[in-house]
Amino acid sequence: MIRRLCALWNNVFRRKQLDRDLDEELQAYVELVSAEKMREGASPEDAYRDARRDMGGVEQVMQSVREVRPGVWLDRLVQDLRYGVRTLAKNPAFTLIAMATLALGIGANTAMFSLLDQVVLRLLPVRDPERVVIVRETGNHYGNSFGPNTISWPMFEDLRDNNQVFAGMFCRFPATVTISGGDRAAQIPVELVSGSYFPILGVGAALGRTIAPDDDAVPDSQPVVVLSYSFWRSYFDSDRSIVGRTINLNSYAMTVIGVAQPGFDGVELGVPAKVFVPIMMKTEMTPHSDGLKDRRRRLSWVTAYGRLKPGVSLEQAQLSLQPLMHSILEMEVQQPEFTRSATPADREPFLRNRAELLPGSDNDLREDMRRPLWLLLALTGAVLLLACANLANLLLARATAREREFAVRLAIGAGRARIVRQLLTETLLLSTAGAVVGLALAFLTDRILLRIYLPADAAAEFVVSPIPDGRVLAFVVGVMLLTSLVFGLLPALRGSRTEITLSLKDRSGDASASGISLRRMLVGIQVALSLLLLVGAGLFVRTLRNLDSLGPGFPTDHLLTFRINPSLNGYSDEQTKSFYQRLDINLQTMPGVASVGFSVMPLLKGYAWQNAVLGKDFEGAPIEEQPVLNHVGPGYFATLGIPILAGRAFTAQDVGPAKYAVINESFAKQYFPGRTPLGQRFGLVDDMRPVSPDIEVIGLIPDKKYRDLRETPPAQAYFPYYQDAHFRFMNIYLRTQADPRQIENELRERMRQFDPHVPVVELQTVNEQIGLSLRTERLVASLSAVFGGLATLLAVIGLYGVTAYAVMRRTREIGIRMALGAVPGDVIAMVMREVLILIGAGLAAGFLLALALANLVRSQLFGLNPRDPLTFLGSVIVLTVAAGLAGLIPALRASSLAATTALRHE
Amino acid sequence: MGVSRRIAQITGGAFDVKAGSLFPALHRMEQAGWLTSSWGESETNRRAKFYALTRAGKKQLHSESERWERISLAMATALRTT
Repeated sequence: MIRRLCALWNNVFRRKQLDRDLDEELQAYVELVSAEKMREGASPEDAYRDARRDMGGVEQVMQSVREVRPGVWLDRLVQDLRYGVRTLAKNPAFTLIAMATLALGIGANTAMFSLLDQVVLRLLPVRDPERVVIVRETGNHYGNSFGPNTISWPMFEDLRDNNQVFAGMFCRFPATVTISGGDRAAQIPVELVSGSYFPILGVGAALGRTIAPDDDAVPDSQPVVVLSYSFWRSYFDSDRSIVGRTINLNSYAMTVIGVAQPGFDGVELGVPAKVFVPIMMKTEMTPHSDGLKDRRRRLSWVTAYGRLKPGVSLEQAQLSLQPLMHSILEMEVQQPEFTRSATPADREPFLRNRAELLPGSDNDLREDMRRPLWLLLALTGAVLLLACANLANLLLARATAREREFAVRLAIGAGRARIVRQLLTETLLLSTAGAVVGLALAFLTDRILLRIYLPADAAAEFVVSPIPDGRVLAFVVGVMLLTSLVFGLLPALRGSRTEITLSLKDRSGDASASGISLRRMLVGIQVALSLLLLVGAGLFVRTLRNLDSLGPGFPTDHLLTFRINPSLNGYSDEQTKSFYQRLDINLQTMPGVASVGFSVMPLLKGYAWQNAVLGKDFEGAPIEEQPVLNHVGPGYFATLGIPILAGRAFTAQDVGPAKYAVINESFAKQYFPGRTPLGQRFGLVDDMRPVSPDIEVIGLIPDKKYRDLRETPPAQAYFPYYQDAHFRFMNIYLRTQADPRQIENELRERMRQFDPHVPVVELQTVNEQIGLSLRTERLVASLSAVFGGLATLLAVIGLYGVTAYAVMRRTREIGIRMALGAVPGDVIAMVMREVLILIGAGLAAGFLLALALANLVRSQLFGLNPRDPLTFLGSVIVLTVAAGLAGLIPALRASSLAATTALRHE
Repeated sequence: MGVSRRIAQITGGAFDVKAGSLFPALHRMEQAGWLTSSWGESETNRRAKFYALTRAGKKQLHSESERWERISLAMATALRTT
């Protein structure tokens, strides 16, 4: 063994020495033999020549000795690699386009799948994540709800204590708290968790311990927290002495008992929790909202999770939970809070609500991103197909062009195996280079996409790694390698069998006639896929433009917004109210600020406060018909540029006890049809007590958008915020005189001086906010546009290559035609006819494909039909013109050939 | 040269090993450690390379010979019985 390694070593690194020895040995042999022949009477020249002939050539013997050396394969590989690099470098256009194609196919697919995998497909980073499920209640909800996946605390307790299918259940509630200490204050997302959370998930502590059931037994009793690993590192600089110390959350001193294991950021992927707090501390963490002690059964706020018992499938568990859920609903339907907020007709549908189990990794963010990301993956899949077609086309062209080279090499004695091995090396070289570039591309793309896709502060924390996924990388590289091998090697194999003499003699022999039709087909496929991608790009770009031009119904230029929540600093209602009133005056006097508007609800962020209303002749409504409501300050309408159509806006004097409202036209139309809205009265349905219509309408405003740009403005009613009993977060809108970004820093400083403990959150212009809300659409539009453009470019290159080759093969024919009197126009027509047939076939296939697939993207479009004629026609025209030009160049070249040159071509 | 001459001599000309087969075989056996080589003077006073069996080579020769004996005996027996 050692001896073999030594020999290998010698062969690789001391080859020259070995070759010299061998040469000497063979020379000595030749001399011995010729000396003998001379003794037998031959002349010195004859003897020497005969000796060499008998031997069969010194070079040949040397080569056959080299062939048996242990490292010979390495030798050959180095040779092949060198030759491969040389031939690739000799044809830079081919190499560049092939590498770019490979890189595009590999890069785009790897990047997109990695993103999809991590954002949408990935499971929770916990023990046996596939056994963890969310337990939710389907159907319409009556009462207050924090989201579709939430249930009430009493319902959670009932499910936890009476189910037969879970090894354990836990629940959580996401909240935002203010962490303060020293001279810094920040709002951070936290997760309020039940004591069973960590044990059931199987998540341990990196430092100290996690929250145990004992920490979560009695309300308000255990002010303890566990930090997330990434938050511990970023905010506390990995300070190991943190365990046992206290931190201030909402001005409550909380003891740090541990740091969770690295990589675990709570159960809501995409919204990383930075601190975990026992849910029994809810009162302290969410002032003014006391879901624990408020045991209303129709107040849904916790997300419940269960770990399936071993051997119980998700379907079995879901089935066996139904009787339990039904008995809970039977009980709830009797309770006054249900009968108050729902009509008798709602009883039956409510009792049909079911328990539903979802994968534990589900959340709203995923729900929103799933379709766009799958869509983009489908687009990149088309790009992969196209890249393969392009690569195949390139390799076929190259193999055809190299037929003569192979023939020469065969003629001077190269073995077929050697030629195939050489080609294999070249292909691998090309693919490896392409894969490396593609991988770099994927890495870069993922980083850029993540930056676009996630809000800046989340991107810093969100554990989406830009490292591409290994499986998909292997798959994509495999597909492209297979393509390279099939289309790079098959022609070579066939070529190596062709009659050497034929290939050498006659380039336009029929040896590769079948190659051209295969290439035509590949180009046709490329044209079809390009059309598909162009149509997609057109649809998404137009959707984005439609959304961009929508506007919310009020001017958004020079409008700055931010959010604060002084109640998270332990401020009482009175203190917070005074804070807001002082701040209002303070900001109005700020230089550069034209007016200030306070709004409890954020605009155009997808949030809405909805409540059923009642009046003289109307009462209650299911959630989708309820109006959206808001509490605003006196300057709100003026700041947003919303005119008062009738009556008046609020003033600082509207303090009560009389209750006032400003409504929009839709509200007036829906609830007071045919009447003057001013002076009408309505009330807000409350499930705690019966109410009377005691709110008086004092103003009327036009309809404007509230939740998002896509909606038709809903019925809206506004109340003065200072008439409310509770004061929590506030969204503040500033109309500035100049570019609002100029005063951002000044504003931050002013707020810090006003109260350094209340952090300013999400300070941005409304235009930036709107831009951010369209980021999914922007991502889809820009990526599909890039893909469409690249696809067209590749198709055009492919078409040019095929046409140029076809023209070259027919040079002699063209010469004869011209000698017989054809004019250049005839030649152009002859070439272009074929080009147009090819384009036409590709377009027809692509058109049908696009028509068939268009419906799949309907939900991603806005303001246009998925079979939008303009987009389809435009894509066809763009592609026809581009491809036509690509075909025209070789056609023109052919027509300008002189007949004599063409005839002498061979 | 001596090696191929000697083979031809012993086998009465039945085997004529050409240089193209001889040298690769010699080198392969050398790499396997069955032979050592050295430069020396031939009987005609010319420089030549001499090959000698190593201990491992002898062992290999012995086992290969035995194997051949067995096979040829078997072949001979088989041929005789038909």
